[in-house]
Amino acid sequence: MLRLLLAAALSLAPAAALAHASEGVAGGFTGGFLHPLLGLDHVAAMVAVGLWGAFLGAPAIYLLPIVFPLVMAFGGILGILGVPLPGMEAGIALSAAVLGLMVALAARPPLWVAAVLVGAFAIFHGYAHGAEVPDGADAAAFFTGFVIATGLLHLCGIAFGLLANSPRGRVAVRLAGSAIMLAGIVFLSRLA
Amino acid sequence: VSRIARAALAALPSIVVCRPALAHMIGDARGFPGGVLHPLLVPAHALALIAMGLMLGSQDRAAALRLFAVFVLSLATAVAMVAAAYAPREPAMILLIATACAALAAAIGRPLPMPFAAILAGVAAIALLLDSVPAVVSTTETLLALAGTIFSASAVLLIVSTLAMTARRHWQRIAVRIAGSWCAASALLVLALQMAR
Repeated sequence: MLRLLLAAALSLAPAAALAHASEGVAGGFTGGFLHPLLGLDHVAAMVAVGLWGAFLGAPAIYLLPIVFPLVMAFGGILGILGVPLPGMEAGIALSAAVLGLMVALAARPPLWVAAVLVGAFAIFHGYAHGAEVPDGADAAAFFTGFVIATGLLHLCGIAFGLLANSPRGRVAVRLAGSAIMLAGIVFLSRLA
Repeated sequence: VSRIARAALAALPSIVVCRPALAHMIGDARGFPGGVLHPLLVPAHALALIAMGLMLGSQDRAAALRLFAVFVLSLATAVAMVAAAYAPREPAMILLIATACAALAAAIGRPLPMPFAAILAGVAAIALLLDSVPAVVSTTETLLALAGTIFSASAVLLIVSTLAMTARRHWQRIAVRIAGSWCAASALLVLALQMAR
C-alpha cells in the first residue's frame, strides 16, 4: 500500500521546471559553467594548475588563481576575434600532460618559469572557450559561468594539493599528478 | 497506515495541482519593482556592481564612503540626463570598460588614486543607469523604474563594498582579489564579444 501510494505520488510529478532553458541568462550561465566541466582535458589541466600551485607554495598558491583567469581571458579574446591559434587542441592536451608531470615530479622552478608555463597554457584554454560562445546565450552570464567554473577547479586542485603538507598526502598529490599526466598523454594520442 | 503513507497522501493533492516552476519569469516586472530587479537580473550590470564594490573595498573607509557618494550622485545625475532626453550610443560598452578597470584594480589589490577611482565610479554609475532606461512611454513609469534601479544598485554596491572592506585576514584579501580577477576576466571577454559583433 505504501509503495503504491509513493508510486502514485511520483507518477503525478509536477510539470517540467522551465528555469534553465538553453538561452538567455540562466542558459548562458549554465552553459558557461558547464563548458569547462564537460571537457576532461580542461578539468585535468585546471586541477593540475591548483595542485601545482599548492606544491609551489606562497606566493604562487594565490598568484596563479588571480593571474590565470586574466591570461585565459586574453586567450578567449583571441578566440572571439578569430585570431588563428595553431595547435589549440594539442596545446590543451599538452597542458594536462606537462602540468601533471610538474606535479608528479613535485617540481619547484622559479615563480616566473611556472607563471610563463601556466600562462601559455591558459591562452589555449581561453581560446577554446572564447571560440565556442553559443549564439542565443547571454554573453556576460556565459563568461561569468565559465570563469567561475575554471576558478573553482583551481580551488579544488589547491584544496587537494594542501594534502601535500603531510608525507602521505604528498604521495597522494604526486599520484594525482601522474594520473593527470597519463590522461594528458591519452588526450594527445587521440589527436595523433 | 504508516506515517510515511499518511505524508504521501497529504502531499498528493499539492503535487497534483502544482504548476511549472517558472523561476525566471520575473522579467516583466515594471515600475519601481522592475527597476529594483533590473541590476540584479542583467548579468553585465550585476558584474559591474560587484566589480565596483570590490574596488571600493580595496580603498580605505573614508575614500570608500566618498566614492559611494560619487556613485549615488552620478546615478542621480544620469536620471537628469534621461529627463533631458540624452541618449548615449553605447552605455553598455562604457559600463563594461569601467567594470574591467575596477575589477583589475581589485585583482591587483592596491587602492586606486582617488581622482581615478572617482571618475571610474561616476562613469560606471552614469553608464549603468543610462543602460537601464525601460522601453516605456510613460514618464512616471520611467522615473519610478530608475528610482528602483538607483535603490538596488546603491544597495548592492554598499553590501559588496562592506563585505570586501571587512575582509581583513590574508586569505580573505586573496579571495577578494580572486573575485576581482574573475570579474575582470568576464568583463574583458564580454567586451571583446561586443566589439566583435
